[in-house]
Amino acid sequence: MDVGRHPKIKLLAYSEIEEITGYIGNFHVKVRKKARYVDEIACTACGECVKVCPVVKPDEHQLGLATRKAIYIPFAQAVPASYLIDMEDCLGNNPIACGACAEVCDPRAIDYDQKDEILELDVGVAIVATGMDVCDPTILDEYRYTKYENVITSWEFEILTGPGYVTRGELLRPTDRKVPKSIAFVQCVGSRAERRGNPYCSNICCMNTIKDTLYLKEHHPEIDCTVFYMDIRAFGKGYEELYKRSKEVGVKYIRGIPGDIVEDRKTRNLVLTVENTTTGKIQRHEFEMVVLSIGVIPRPDTETVQRLLTLSKAADGFLMETHYQLNPIDAPTGGVFLAGCCESPKDIKASVIQASGAASRAETLLSAGKVKVEAITSEVIPDLCKACGICVDVCPYGSITVDRKAKTPASIVEAACKGCGTCGAECRFDALRMRHFTDDQIIAMIDAMFEERPEEKVCIFACNWCSYGGADLAGLSRMQYPPSGRVIRTMCSGRVAEKFVWHAFRKGAPVVLISGCHFADCHYIDANRWTQKRVEKLWDKMEQKGIRPERLQLEWISAAEAVKWTRVMHAVEELRKTVTREEIEETMRILSEEKGK
Amino acid sequence: MAEEVTFKCLRCGYTYKGTYDRKVPEERECPKCGSNSVRPLPKGKGD
Repeated sequence: MDVGRHPKIKLLAYSEIEEITGYIGNFHVKVRKKARYVDEIACTACGECVKVCPVVKPDEHQLGLATRKAIYIPFAQAVPASYLIDMEDCLGNNPIACGACAEVCDPRAIDYDQKDEILELDVGVAIVATGMDVCDPTILDEYRYTKYENVITSWEFEILTGPGYVTRGELLRPTDRKVPKSIAFVQCVGSRAERRGNPYCSNICCMNTIKDTLYLKEHHPEIDCTVFYMDIRAFGKGYEELYKRSKEVGVKYIRGIPGDIVEDRKTRNLVLTVENTTTGKIQRHEFEMVVLSIGVIPRPDTETVQRLLTLSKAADGFLMETHYQLNPIDAPTGGVFLAGCCESPKDIKASVIQASGAASRAETLLSAGKVKVEAITSEVIPDLCKACGICVDVCPYGSITVDRKAKTPASIVEAACKGCGTCGAECRFDALRMRHFTDDQIIAMIDAMFEERPEEKVCIFACNWCSYGGADLAGLSRMQYPPSGRVIRTMCSGRVAEKFVWHAFRKGAPVVLISGCHFADCHYIDANRWTQKRVEKLWDKMEQKGIRPERLQLEWISAAEAVKWTRVMHAVEELRKTVTREEIEETMRILSEEKGK
Repeated sequence: MAEEVTFKCLRCGYTYKGTYDRKVPEERECPKCGSNSVRPLPKGKGD
């Protein structure tokens, strides 16, 4: 409401972003403002139109538990408080088939000729706060959600107990419209499940259930409430106290998740079979209603948002921040910030904290009017650039432009460049120089590495964010692994050019390992995909030259995978032992002769 | 376009069939030893 009234905030409701171009400080956004067919300024939200509209549809906001008309306000607190016509539901506007809403509208707000508008905006920063969705309980058939009416989800429970909704806050059992005498809450439905649902904890369900049980006990102390759980996660300020209060008012907690629910056909009551993991005994409990505490999942349109703003997505499908601990608000793309559940499941308090942080980060940038960029960025050497455009194709941030037809050298928007170095690795003409990780610097490191006893060393390229962190953690954890590995750190595995690998073999490397982030964790959106493509090409070329492809290894190791790092170090050491001095010399001869040609 | 190819693990030597699309890179892991050094063999090599 405050946002809608704020003189400096322009709210574009019922609108979708179609395109975003540009970079930090200079984004250009195309927005489709959908036709409402109601003048939102003239509409007084009197509701006369709803009374005469003949079309009745399930109300999506109330999960189909109530109905709405073709002309409606999506939900009670919607901003602006103005009606809209869903033209797919309306009997028609061309020609006007009904027109009842227009006839009764005193302010003459109905406009059947309204069209979608395309708005173009120039903005300096973007905050993504697209929220989340909830898990579909139908994938977990043991809870019989689709079979028994009295099994509902926690979201439906909110609708059935909300004062602004269909039952006006009175909880009624779906089959007999009576207040239930007993209710079971089943936790972790779709969460913390490796095989079905999602492996992560949805963060909010425990406290939501505790809140629901307190609400029930406050309004209906006679209702018997039981919560079936794996373990209650009441981690926030005041949460443990709420949990205790819930137990004090008589809510029972049973440690165990039901394996089956069966309905008594006569009473429509539900019998839950559960292993009580505290006692180790199988128990049966009968309830009049069951509430499934469903988990949180990323919105289905996350990929669209990801594409529009060139963001990264983590393995769980939520948008990825620049750094989990040290930079949890910034997206990898400069000038883009994340707030709320689009980044990970979180409660209202955490969402408000992150949103405040995002607003503050945005305001800091906008008020400064200029931005400090990373020192590690690419630069073009115009004399060497042939305007082939490969760098444009591989840049995850779209920070490079080139006019292929005019053959003008590439140019880089340094404010948008994040320094992965993929462009430098792919450029065949050495026309891109990666500051602080130049070709000369990396070649010099390889030279130094193989100055003495090259046959005893494994050349390892490790990315800064994940694999190098994994190696660091292995060291900190005092994990033991062979000392033959020599690490060259690059910001991204995408920086490892073919020539570095050839140079290492030419200098006598028995084995080369390239290690980067897992695909879902790449800190440069998708730069490590280019690493894999490049390594695949290298394997083919090695085979053609008579060099065993096995001598080039590729591994994805995260900063938390110290154990994997250690395992890989042992594996590459075993591989190194299989490479004879003769094989190394033969490789050096092949590559030196080729270079001579 | 996705095609059926033979993958070879360059750590343990295990080979297996799978679909491969050069344009859509996927993180691969050897089903036997867990290594990511899984090479899609050129046509005719692993058939």
